[in-house]
Amino acid sequence: MKNLLKYEFRKTLSVKLALLGLTAAAEIAFLAALFLNKENLLAISIFLLTMLALGGVMVAGLATILTLHRDMNTKQSYMLFMTPNSCYRILGAKVLENALSLLLCGGCFFALGTLDITLLFARAGSLKELWEAIGSMLRTINSELTLDVPNMLSFTIGLLASWFSAVTAACLADVISSALLNGKKGNGIIAFLIFLALSFLVSWLQQTLTSSVTSIQPRFLLQALIALVLSGGMYFATARIMETSLSV
Amino acid sequence: MLESIDLTKKYGTKTAVENVSLRLTPGHIYAMLGPNGSGKTTWMKMAAGLVKPTSGQILFDGTPVGIESRKKIAYMSTEPYFYTWMTVRDVGKYYGDFFEDYSPEQYGRLLAEMELTEDLKTSTLSSGMMAKLKIAVTLARDAHVYMLDEPFNGIDLLARDAIRGCILSRFSPDRILLLSSHLVEEMEAIADQAVFIKAGRLAETADLEDLRTREGVSMADRYRTIFGHEEATK
Repeated sequence: MKNLLKYEFRKTLSVKLALLGLTAAAEIAFLAALFLNKENLLAISIFLLTMLALGGVMVAGLATILTLHRDMNTKQSYMLFMTPNSCYRILGAKVLENALSLLLCGGCFFALGTLDITLLFARAGSLKELWEAIGSMLRTINSELTLDVPNMLSFTIGLLASWFSAVTAACLADVISSALLNGKKGNGIIAFLIFLALSFLVSWLQQTLTSSVTSIQPRFLLQALIALVLSGGMYFATARIMETSLSV
Repeated sequence: MLESIDLTKKYGTKTAVENVSLRLTPGHIYAMLGPNGSGKTTWMKMAAGLVKPTSGQILFDGTPVGIESRKKIAYMSTEPYFYTWMTVRDVGKYYGDFFEDYSPEQYGRLLAEMELTEDLKTSTLSSGMMAKLKIAVTLARDAHVYMLDEPFNGIDLLARDAIRGCILSRFSPDRILLLSSHLVEEMEAIADQAVFIKAGRLAETADLEDLRTREGVSMADRYRTIFGHEEATK
């Protein structure tokens, strides 16, 4: 498993390095703008960092799906499937790599965001007032909706878990397309419909099973747990199909 | 022993391999022969566990091929399959990470014989160099079965001699060597058994010594007899 995981990280290394480079450049621009009082640059760098935080997590998931697709549909698949590893292990390494990448990516952006907001408030006190004004506005909608670290952390965890379940749903749909529908007309469209149906199911179960929970933090965390449990189920279904039906 | 029993593989309406029952025993070098699309590669891929049969079985030492057999069967595909970011050194490390029977020393020797250096990137290799690399890394394993699909494809005459030597150096009485090729005369100098596959079906298996002594024909002659009409009509 260790070796499989090592090569999964290697396969997505270029994407991660590009993301890291862009984030570093945006962060340097942010810090320079902050300390040199360049308002335009500050606005641009904050926009870039926000986009990178949202896009980075998304890109990490997409990289996993693309790698799996390539590992099933090109000759490179032999490198993986001729090794003495079961499909449960092969897919397990991919899913684990994705989970760790999302955690790492999400964790880094969360830490960077917290640090940058703190720096921003320290340099410009008026921004803190603006932040508090947004917070109090949100509280009028829901008294628990505050812009504090625990709330933001539970929201981030919920978001990452939901995205993780979307990635595993995409993996299942792709494997169904490659293993069961291979060569059949419209298999791409069918796979996409399967992905949509699975994503809808996950979202519906998250909403239905947490509708009675009124507090925000437990609800986010419970939704994350549901997404992770469903991801586990989709992982086993995907690996089972690969083990019994996938020809590369 | 590597054995297929009523092995069939269908891709949609097309049948690639049909009811092939074949038994390969240790101590022999098999030449699998047949025109393009006859089913040789599909049979090998099923034996390597890469392709799932539609029906029938493929067994290695009495057990269906799978994780355990992959530890003992070294398969070389005819197509290049290394990750594009890899160097020749990375390819060796990869095999070392996954196959217990891989020998880095043997890999180094084979690379030297094939005139390849470890710093070369696989994405920049010519087809001939790629073919040599595939052979070097496959033969660097101390496997029970070697299955080489078209090992002489894209390789010039002089390099072919070196490769033939490398392949033969891996032969021993407890091993099975299975080679497929279009170069029938080339195979005649290596193999002692021939497996003729025609349109997905097993046409014949023959002991080459028997063919020569009893019937006075070569493997190439038998190839012409079996496939002559088919080739002529192409």
